[in-house]
Amino acid sequence: MLLRIAKREFVERLRDGRLHWAVGLVLVLLMTALFVGYSHQSEARAEQQVAQASEYRDWLRQDRRHPHDAAHQGMHAFKPGAAMAIVDPGINPYIGSTIWLQAHRQSEVKFNPAQDATGLQRFGNLSVGWILQVLGPLLVIVLGFNAFAGEREQGILRQTLSLGISPVRLLLGKAAALLACVGVLLIPAALAAAFAVTLGAGEGERMDALLRLSAWAAGYVLYLGIFVFLVLGVSAASSTSRMAITLLLALWIGQTVMAPRMLSEASRALSPTPTRLQFNQALNADLKATSDRMWQQTFGTTERWGKDVPLSKWGVALQMDDQSSYPVYDRHFGRLWDTWEGQQRLQEWSGLAFPILAMRAYSMGMAGTDFAHHRTFSTAAEAYRRRIQDLMSADLVKNADTGGERHFSYQASPDLWASVPPFSYRAPSASWALGHQARSLLVLLAGLSLSALFATFTTSRQRAL
Amino acid sequence: MRQEFKLLSAERSLWAVGLMFLLLIGYAVANGLAQTATRDRAQAAVWEADQSTRAAQRARLEAIRAGLATPLPFDNPADPSGMAGNYGGHHAVLPSAALGPVALGQSDLFPSQFRVTNQSRVGFMNPSDIENPWHLLSGHFDLAFVLVYLMPLLIFAVSYNLLSAERESGTLRLLLSQPLRLRTLLAGKLSVRAVVLLGPAVLLPVGVLLLARQAGLTGTGTAAGTTTMWWAFLVAAYALFWFALVVAVNAFGASSATNAMVLVIAWVLLVLVAPVLLNLAVTQVVPTPSRTELATRTRVLTAEAMKRHADLLATDYEHVGRGAALLPQDGKINISARALGNYAIQRELDDALRPQLERFDRQQQHQQELLGRVGMLSPAAVAFEGMTALAGTGARRHARFVAQTVDFHKTWKGFFYPLIDNRTALVPQDFDRVPAFSWQEEPPALVHRAAAIAVFQLLMPSLLLFGLAAWRLRRLCVS
Repeated sequence: MLLRIAKREFVERLRDGRLHWAVGLVLVLLMTALFVGYSHQSEARAEQQVAQASEYRDWLRQDRRHPHDAAHQGMHAFKPGAAMAIVDPGINPYIGSTIWLQAHRQSEVKFNPAQDATGLQRFGNLSVGWILQVLGPLLVIVLGFNAFAGEREQGILRQTLSLGISPVRLLLGKAAALLACVGVLLIPAALAAAFAVTLGAGEGERMDALLRLSAWAAGYVLYLGIFVFLVLGVSAASSTSRMAITLLLALWIGQTVMAPRMLSEASRALSPTPTRLQFNQALNADLKATSDRMWQQTFGTTERWGKDVPLSKWGVALQMDDQSSYPVYDRHFGRLWDTWEGQQRLQEWSGLAFPILAMRAYSMGMAGTDFAHHRTFSTAAEAYRRRIQDLMSADLVKNADTGGERHFSYQASPDLWASVPPFSYRAPSASWALGHQARSLLVLLAGLSLSALFATFTTSRQRAL
Repeated sequence: MRQEFKLLSAERSLWAVGLMFLLLIGYAVANGLAQTATRDRAQAAVWEADQSTRAAQRARLEAIRAGLATPLPFDNPADPSGMAGNYGGHHAVLPSAALGPVALGQSDLFPSQFRVTNQSRVGFMNPSDIENPWHLLSGHFDLAFVLVYLMPLLIFAVSYNLLSAERESGTLRLLLSQPLRLRTLLAGKLSVRAVVLLGPAVLLPVGVLLLARQAGLTGTGTAAGTTTMWWAFLVAAYALFWFALVVAVNAFGASSATNAMVLVIAWVLLVLVAPVLLNLAVTQVVPTPSRTELATRTRVLTAEAMKRHADLLATDYEHVGRGAALLPQDGKINISARALGNYAIQRELDDALRPQLERFDRQQQHQQELLGRVGMLSPAAVAFEGMTALAGTGARRHARFVAQTVDFHKTWKGFFYPLIDNRTALVPQDFDRVPAFSWQEEPPALVHRAAAIAVFQLLMPSLLLFGLAAWRLRRLCVS
């Protein structure tokens, strides 16, 4: 029976011109987004791979030189583009992908693409994720707002119910049909995305990318499922289809257009991010205090380079300063990043009321383009920087100038450069990403249950008479 | 018209929409003011930190000259190579414009402060403010957002059934049997609704801004009054476009339900989809040069320069054990070889990278120019760009800030380079002559001309739509 209801509803939608137009339009947008995403992605990845390889090649080819000069010149670490960035670039357009690994200081990513963007950047980027998050629910609304209300207006609903069909069964049939309609659109898009992601993924990451894509797609089924039940529920509760569509559009605008901005403002107000000046002042003060304490402990003075601390101690002092600064950086950057993650957590929880927020977090999390992934890259790059510094300083300690005159003229041999391994960063696995997205997934599941309950409640109140 | 107003005021929906609009605008204006105030405070703190550092350095220089303090290699205000670099760097800050709170625009994407030193600008002209990328993705809830995104929907809510409702209830036939032209009827209906919506949209923000300016909460700027007037024109022109669309859709004589559907689809296409596609098209046609390539090039050029000055870098500190080497003598100072090496490296890097960095600026300018030409395809894009330009948070004003920072950088180097080359020691009086950044605001005529173009770009499609409506209305079957 359920199947028969679903089939009938589906055929009816197919006959309706609305489906053709709406689905056609969204499909064109989806394919454009996929094509653009793929071409951007492949270009950026090729460029980053070449650049990363040339960084290390040039590092190895350095002549004999002072190790600290080599460390000062440093290297760049380029964040490899996630294979799934094709479908959801996440925060990538708003955060850089290049870190300069220099001596003394932990760097942040530079070259934020938004800094080169046009004035229209504020309207968003075209991506499969954006289309599904923003236009997906609208599509469900357009296709389903009169599922109950329209039939009631025409008198069909009363006839159907008088046949003795349970309203809940009717609801499930309609929900299945609506999902199938959306599926007409999503299945080709998902296949195209799977093809593009497989094509774009590098050797050895295809399996992971496809796992991520499946989990990602499942998330969207949940998300659109929430709207399927919400639309049917509202349609059943509304006396006219006009009222249903008005209410649904208002809900859609509230959640897709207004909620992300309002909650960003709210979370910013609740746990504020420090300004650049505050962050730098606190960090610098902490670094100086730590360094002075270490100098006092080790050399009995804080005066840099004098009778007590000759330049032959340069390597020792450098090593000591570097190593004592690592926990300071960890503390300050850790606190900042924790603040950001806290701000995001608040928005994910508010996904209970506005599913788009949980979906956005889940989508970019599974695509590997969220802040959690970015943080693992930043941490890996910083660990690599520390490794370079430690190797260079250790060499300076070993080859300390005891003559006292020729400290900076010391030149290390290229063997030292070769002792630094190449930078390799692998993004965390699909299961790590899923574990990190447990919260948003839970919120989406809760949202689906709530909207299903709501729809069951309103449809069960339908009477034949 | 009076009759129409009576009818409307009896309808609860108009009041509900008006109240909602008022609340949204109130929240957006309050948020804009709060965000702008936060940014102003942060910038004031940057300026104060610069001033106090400079004052402390001057006091230290006086103490050194009086023999009361000993200079340290990395804390020596007499050394021009240190003062030109990280030790004495100074900020260039872009202040908020008078209308800043009405559109936060790209103020969070574009940096509004740069710490200028003698290094190449590739080193310091990077995003300077710390912000959660998630928030950058979401955008702000400011007045420009409410007007560009939400005002059209509220216009639809009060007028989607402008004519269709009268026809559906049969009153249109009655009305037109009176000596009343359809055009007059429509004009009356439209003006009542426009007054109800534009009243809060224009008067409330202007009033709040005036109060805030009186209280000294926002910047004043030149010609703030005229700029505000242009902003009101822009909002009115944008609203007019949507009213024109409503009239044109109504003129086709479809049912109220169809009208509402067509209008919502138009909104989705013009406000949500078109700007995103335009942005994409512009960046495809005029692509930004590669930042990855810039990073690689910077590293290679630095390595080459370091190699050229390897001898300077290989010289040991001369001051170790001889503190007097750091003291100025007869107006001259002994700059350490490594500091001179770094100075030469940065100077060469700066010259070598300039053409590449200028390419970024040029490309961005081309993108913005192209956008100015094709932006017309989406009235929302025109309105948003126009509002951010008037609020001083758009791309044009930021490009001006970048250009002025580049000039300031030039002046900065012009001041310090001869001092370093001649090993001239700085004296306390020199501190008054160290170049300071002072922002030169955009000429009001430029801002107003751009606003006039935006208003024109909005009026053109509105007139077309009204023309279309007039043509259809003549054939409209009343019964």
